[in-house]
Amino acid sequence: MNPIAPIFYTEEYKDATDYFRGIVKSGETSSRVLELTEHIIRMNPAHYSAWQYRYKTLLALHSPLDEELRLMDALAIQFLKTYQVWHHRRLLLTALNSVPAAEAELAFIRRAVAVDTKNYYTPGRTDKELLEADVRNNSAWHHRFFVVFQSGVRKGDEDRELVLRRELAFTKEKIALAPNNPSAWNYLRGILEYTKTPFSTITTFVEPYASTSRSSTAEQEIVIDLENPYLRKEGGASTMKAVEIWRSLANVHDTVRKKYWEHRIKDALSSIQK
Amino acid sequence: MTERHLRSTPTDGYATPTSHIQAATEQILRSHLPSASEANQGPVLQKNIHLQYLLRNLVQGFPERYTSQDASQPWLIFWTLQGFSVLGVGLDDQTKKRAIETLLALQHPEGGFGGGPGQAAHLLPTYAAVCALAIVGRPGEGGGWEVIDRQKMYKFFMSLKQQDGSFLVMHHGEVDMRGIYCLITVATMLNMLTPELLAGVPEFIASCQTYEGGFGNASFPGWVFEEDDPERDGSSTDSFNPSSPRPPLGEAHGGYTFCATATWVLLQPYLRLYYPSSAPAINRSALLRWLTQMQGIPAEIGGFRGRTNKLVDGCYSWWVGGCVVLAETLLGIGLGGDRRPEERGKGEEHAGEDGWDDVDDSLFDRRALQEYILYAGQHPAGGLRDKPPKPSDSYHTLYCLSGLSAAQHRVIPHDARRAEVLASWRGDIAKEKKCAGLAAPSGDGEILENLRREIFLDTLSWSEEEGTVKYVGGSGNRVNATHPLFNLTVTHSEAIMAYFYGQTLPVRKPHHAASTPPTGK
Repeated sequence: MNPIAPIFYTEEYKDATDYFRGIVKSGETSSRVLELTEHIIRMNPAHYSAWQYRYKTLLALHSPLDEELRLMDALAIQFLKTYQVWHHRRLLLTALNSVPAAEAELAFIRRAVAVDTKNYYTPGRTDKELLEADVRNNSAWHHRFFVVFQSGVRKGDEDRELVLRRELAFTKEKIALAPNNPSAWNYLRGILEYTKTPFSTITTFVEPYASTSRSSTAEQEIVIDLENPYLRKEGGASTMKAVEIWRSLANVHDTVRKKYWEHRIKDALSSIQK
Repeated sequence: MTERHLRSTPTDGYATPTSHIQAATEQILRSHLPSASEANQGPVLQKNIHLQYLLRNLVQGFPERYTSQDASQPWLIFWTLQGFSVLGVGLDDQTKKRAIETLLALQHPEGGFGGGPGQAAHLLPTYAAVCALAIVGRPGEGGGWEVIDRQKMYKFFMSLKQQDGSFLVMHHGEVDMRGIYCLITVATMLNMLTPELLAGVPEFIASCQTYEGGFGNASFPGWVFEEDDPERDGSSTDSFNPSSPRPPLGEAHGGYTFCATATWVLLQPYLRLYYPSSAPAINRSALLRWLTQMQGIPAEIGGFRGRTNKLVDGCYSWWVGGCVVLAETLLGIGLGGDRRPEERGKGEEHAGEDGWDDVDDSLFDRRALQEYILYAGQHPAGGLRDKPPKPSDSYHTLYCLSGLSAAQHRVIPHDARRAEVLASWRGDIAKEKKCAGLAAPSGDGEILENLRREIFLDTLSWSEEEGTVKYVGGSGNRVNATHPLFNLTVTHSEAIMAYFYGQTLPVRKPHHAASTPPTGK
């Protein structure tokens, strides 16, 4: 066969993967397989079959899985963004099912994350630290949402009213620091919706950012539906106020989203007619 | 493009690493905009050098640095073949034959396709291989389609099924939204859908929508957070409780959002038929807002980013730009029915820079996206890219071209086409042609027959909306329309589905011939 779109491998890679194909065919599980799959993974960590076969071989040989974890530490740092690296660790930890191994893993992740703070598969530093370093880090905002609202109630956080007030205060402070930050606005909208808190409760905070008469047009760009408090009030007059802001976004401040804002206007007007 | 449009993203006097890299990127992008004197000519899609690039990859192959793609060989083939399709170039029979042979060598003896010869079966290469076969294959011996082993593929799919409705991407693999899209797309195209396969998939997808409106990679199965539950008896061989919380894992992301949304659209017939009441739901308005929020400002030449506060990247032209029409469809926005006849046909004459007249209902800036791809996405040596000054690569070449296509053509579900396909529908043949030996425990009753028909009709009713084409830089930059759910041309989508459902599709009337070049080309 004369394959299309071939890749020009090095001889070393070609030899190793040819050998690997032979092993898969024969079903061999031996220490030789562990050496070979490590060799392939080091040349190409995205070779998912080598990872899969390595894992099966480790189980078949009853290899000590904590030793495998330590061997993989260097690889994880080297290939920080390769999915397979982390998935392999997860399989090992699940198979080990041990508290010391889990603790060692957390310590390892902290070291690994110090290498790259923006890799969202590997949260380790607290989201608060990450947001202090960069208030625009969306992965950190997302992680914060998960930790505060979606992963069970932590000790000291039993009073959910208090938690909501704390989060609102935190987010407002971050918005005041740098208003042109969609991550923070999305978080604000997210916590209000999640806790079913009426948007009207933050009108006084939001209103200055939504003014069409602001001399600086900069912040207008992120002034969107949440940031537009008028819509959420009852009655036609406030809808007209919202429409006025949307028009200014569509025609002046955020022209890339012109069609979207016009859609919102149409939607709002048709809903008051009903 | 005038100066007043090019205000930088404000930093509020508070610079952080994100704002630094954003400012640097905007500066580079600005330098790729034409000067006032050049702007009149409009950008040119350098079709010839991109075709040469694709041809070099196809015939000569990929350089050594592509070793990292050794487990993604069907993708390299799909990206290249679909690149030719979008550029409107057909392949000779000899090349098609070689492509079919190359792809079939990746079929795993136990079902599905692997990323290379002798590699394990995996959902992602399975999708890429089937889509590539949709382009080069045909019915009959040597055509590739009849030797796709659907029975084993179905067993492979079911062996990956998890309690929460999701699927692993391979044995001992992880759950990944991309894998769900790949599986559902392949099962749709190859007439393999059953209620057993689809069970729990809508609930899983809905659980992956984040507070931002887009979708994350996966969600935590509920039991993760119940370890300390005193009611539990400690044995973790569990009864999965579908109503326990399943928070999304990972922030809203363009690639996962496309996969989730396209799958959600594909699931509509299943939701209609199998959930007479209380069907799971997603927040469609939040999805639409998130998608449109991802489009960059003029200083970013209107390209799309994949996550909030990240940089624009040409590949999201397709994953996010191409997803807008899917969200519109879910919301029932601009499906063409209410367009006044006198408005039809207006757009075609206004392809130039001036007199741009928006007669369509598309909710993103189609002109700006085309400008990003044409000004910033093209590498001068051929192929397309993330952004300057990066090199081109196979992946970005396709997804920039597909994004350009999504910005030029508006392809939406058409009632008239649906009625035509329905009139020719042969349910008895479709049932006979379903994946052989696939005995669903629930039987193959009327409801499954209806599901099969509705999926076929829903999927193949997508057509280009008349009078809505837009070519920045003129019609010389035209590329082919693609099917918004599959990223195949409508012609290829129809051919492979007609084969696997045993249908003969009615000829498309000229007014919705989505992938035929305009006359005179």
